[in-house]
Parts: sequence; structure tokens; C-alpha cells
Amino acid sequence: MTLSEKDIRDIAVYVRIGLTDEEVTQMTSDLNEIIGTLEPITHMDLEGVEPTFHPIGGLSNVMREDEIGTPFPREVALENGDTVQDGCFEIPSILGGEAGDR
Amino acid sequence: MAEFTELSVADIRDGLKQGVFSARELTDAAYANIEKQDESIHAFLELTPELAYEQADKIDAAVAAGDELGVLAGVPCAFKDNMNEIGTHTTCASAMLEDYVSPFDATCVANAVNAGAIPLGKTNMDEFAFGSSTETSHFGKTMNPWDHERVPGGSSGGSAAAVASGMATIALGSDTGGSIRQPASFCGVVGVKPTYGVVSRYGVVAFGSSLDQVGPFARSVRDAAETLNAIQGRDPLDCTSQESLVDFTANLGQGVKGMKIGRIPAFMEVEGLQPEVRETFDKALLKLEGLGADIVDIDLPHADAAISAYYVLGPCEAFSNLARFDSIRYGHHAHGANLEQRYEASRAEGFGREAKTRIMLGGYLLASGVYDKYYYPAQQVRTLITDDYRKAFEKVEAIVLPTSPRTAFKFGEVSDPTTMHLSDIYTVSINIAGNGGMNLPIGLGAESGMPVGMQIVGPQFHDEAFFRVGAALEAVCDVPRIAVQKGGLA
Repeated sequence: MTLSEKDIRDIAVYVRIGLTDEEVTQMTSDLNEIIGTLEPITHMDLEGVEPTFHPIGGLSNVMREDEIGTPFPREVALENGDTVQDGCFEIPSILGGEAGDR
Repeated sequence: MAEFTELSVADIRDGLKQGVFSARELTDAAYANIEKQDESIHAFLELTPELAYEQADKIDAAVAAGDELGVLAGVPCAFKDNMNEIGTHTTCASAMLEDYVSPFDATCVANAVNAGAIPLGKTNMDEFAFGSSTETSHFGKTMNPWDHERVPGGSSGGSAAAVASGMATIALGSDTGGSIRQPASFCGVVGVKPTYGVVSRYGVVAFGSSLDQVGPFARSVRDAAETLNAIQGRDPLDCTSQESLVDFTANLGQGVKGMKIGRIPAFMEVEGLQPEVRETFDKALLKLEGLGADIVDIDLPHADAAISAYYVLGPCEAFSNLARFDSIRYGHHAHGANLEQRYEASRAEGFGREAKTRIMLGGYLLASGVYDKYYYPAQQVRTLITDDYRKAFEKVEAIVLPTSPRTAFKFGEVSDPTTMHLSDIYTVSINIAGNGGMNLPIGLGAESGMPVGMQIVGPQFHDEAFFRVGAALEAVCDVPRIAVQKGGLA
């Protein structure tokens, strides 16, 4: 299957990346080329093969006591935020859609 | 006194103990060297002299007090810029994190510093580690210390170049599909990707969480082993890290006599394997035989599918990991009329082309209906590849293969993404299987004069096997420890 420019625009919305028209054209060609190289995997006989989701199997759980630790200080956690108010990250309004720019 | 830049980890420790030099003098020498060389190499994105001198003074005080010194005491060290270190910028070479300042330490960084390493600064890389040449860095390329017209490899190209040029004695990098071993090969240094779980990933900006592993760059096998000793081990902050009680220096002098070492004939038929790489590799194999190793032909029947599986699994995990860059808590932020538009604008401005491509690819591959075509089969292929290695290691104690099919290429020579991806053909399969491997410099290519590397792979959680082979072979391979720049300007 070949991805169209419309497919690319749909994926871009889904992954939350704004693309210019020029980028859409380039991305369409790049993704189709890469996906073409992934084809071999679709032709393999994998009937009955269990998937491996993690490279290291056969390990046992590591348990510990449930103890109170030192939390990451709130003011430090907020240091890299764009705008902060009352000890919280401030974000554009997510309700109503008319809240305007921040 | 030998040049500071040529001292080994052990030389530094001994010199400090014996009062031959101080940690402050070592730090002075390291920064003088960086000032002389880094304008033309650009291995570093940020220098951290305040942290370095603070650490040097601690070491000198410990020496004066007669305290026990850590294994990396006084060793000039560089960290890849995807590793958090309090007070430094951790940019991942991306506009997305240009202004981000780390509020915490990655465990690997903390372990290295606790062992006495001097933190010189943070090194350049491909943006978010997406690349094999360090050309995708938002902050400009890094030059290969052997030839400034060539790439250092990637994604940990800055760390490899810093060690190869003598600017740092050791450096840490991260390896998702070859990002330590391939630049180590291109720059002629030792680079180790340990078994998944040997080193904590906490505080290292995640790319592919089931594939990423941190490891050292060094100019000798012993220095790499000492560094890995210092950074390894179980970390409560990374539930995939494992208790490890291995001393990686323990069997460095054991030799390879009688050791069964596997070679994979099919890998030598790969299209794009340069004659100079093949020739240098074959000579090194003869040397191993000369040292008494028993070279055994083995087969990894599903290796062909590794690169496709990797380029499914890697982008899927990256898509998921990079969803955290929402412009709210940290990272580049643009304005938008509502939250969705702000996300889209911030991510459009913050991510470079390669990062956008991989996120888009991962998002597509995980979509309903597509998942069953690529992602699920890739995880099944992962089972087959892991079984291939397990079976091979029933016959041999280590496997050797070229690290890269080619020596370092010139800037712009490889621009097509699929050709770039093929340069990872020998490295990705062990990330998929979880095993550890090392790049060992084995000679210079007859045609290019650039370093050629051999990759030595061990069974899971037996990384001491490739250290043993590496140490034996290193002793009979005459490769300069510090890059000899073409044109004799170095």
C-alpha cells in the first residue's frame, strides 16, 4: 500500500505535528520509501511464533518494602515549565475552544 | 610525564595517589586540549568547568586525606547530551530541548561522578539519537578526528570524537541500534553496548525503551571495562536494570587460547561491505587464530530480517516516547489558539526532519489495521533472532563480525535515509536480542586510511566474554590510540 498526501496529513494530526505543504510532499516520499524496505517482514512465515516484547526473558520480579521516599520537589519539577501559576503548569483552556492565546 | 591525553584510567589513578599530578592539573590539561581542538571537531555542545573543577577539588582533597579513590578518580569524562546532569543543558541536540536544564542526574552520570570521573561537558549527537552520522544535530555537525571531511558516525558521534581526539579519556554514549559501536568503529576507539539491563537507563532521554542501553567509549579495552564496572548495576529507578556482580577487568589477561569464537559467513556476503573492511577483518580473524582461538562458522538464519524489524520497533517506541514533548512541562513552546494547536505548532518547530519522520512512521505503524501487518510480526521476528543467538551461543563463547560494512563516509555522501539505515546492518540485531557487544579497532583501511572495527558479541549477561576477546586481540593490533589527523595537523 502506498501512503497518499492525505494519509500523511491524517497521521500528522494524530501524532500532533504541524506539517507545511512542502513537508507533506517530502514526508510522503520518505515514508513510502522506508515502508517499502519493511516489506520483507510481511512475507515471512511466522505461523505459531510467539512474539517477544522485551529482550530479556526468564527474569524474576524484584520486590522491595513499600516505604515513603523523598519526593521530587515541586518547585524543581516546575522549573522548566513555560508558565507556572500557583504551583501548577499553566496551559491554554481546554474547554469551550474560545479561550484564546496564552 | 606522559602527555595527559595519553594516560589510561589506571595511570591517572596511580599518578594521583603517588602525587605525580593533581586532579586540578588534569582538568586544566583537558580544557586546554579542548580549547585547542574542539573548534575544528565540535564534539562538545556544552562545557561544564564549574562542575569539573568542583569534582577535581574533591578528588585532590581525598588524595590529601589519604582516602580511598574511586575507580574513575580524576578521569576526564564526557557525557552524551541525552543524559541528564543537574545544572547542565540536556538538549538531545534538538531545538525542542535547547533551553532545557536538567533538574536531576541520570544514574549512569551519577555513578561515573561518584566513582571520581571529572565531568568535562556534554557531547553532540544525532537529534534524539536518530541517525548514524551526527549530521542531524540541530547544533551543527561533528567532525571525525581522523579526517575532518568525514562523519564521526552516530548517533553518539560527539562522545566517540571526544575520546578519539584525546579531549576526554572516557565518554558515555547510548546505543539503540548501534549508536555506540558504529561511531566507535568510525573514530577508532573502543565502544561497548552492554547486555540490556547492565546499566540503568534512568535519566537518559528514551528513544526505544526495549532497545536502549548505555555504555562507555574508551581508548583501551581495560579503560572501557573499568568504566563499565563503575556505571553498572541494579538501580531502583529503572525496573529493567539488573543486579550485576561482574568485574569486567577480571579476565582481561586470560587470552583466547582454546576459546570457541563464531564467525558468520553469510554476513561477509552483504552488499555494500567494503573490500578494505573485509580485508582488515579477515586479518584480525587470522590473528585470533594465531592466538589459539578456535574459529567456528555459525549461522544466524533470521539476521536478514533484523533491519526491517528494527525499523519497525525503533520508530514505534520512539513515537510513544516522544509523545512526552508537549511544550507544557518542558521543551520548546509555540503559541496556539487552543491546546491542540499549541501541541502541533510546538512539535513542528521543535523537532527536526528525521525526528518528525520517525514519529510519523511509528504513529502509522501502530495504527489500527497496520499494527498486525508490521509491528506484531516484528515482535515475532524478535523471538526468532533471539533464538538464533541463543542457539549460536550453545556452540561458541563469542561471535565476531564487522561493526560497520564501511569506514567513515564523507559529509553529505549518504543522504538517502534507507542507505543510511543500511549502515546499521551489523549492529541492530543484538539490540533486538538484548545481547552485549563491543567495537574494537583492528586496523586502518588500505584505501581510506580510516579506522576499521571488529564487533565482538557475547551471550546475554556474559559481557566479560567479549572483554576477554577484545583484550587479547587489542594486544596484537597496532592501531594508534589517538586519532592521527590526515594532513598531519593534529
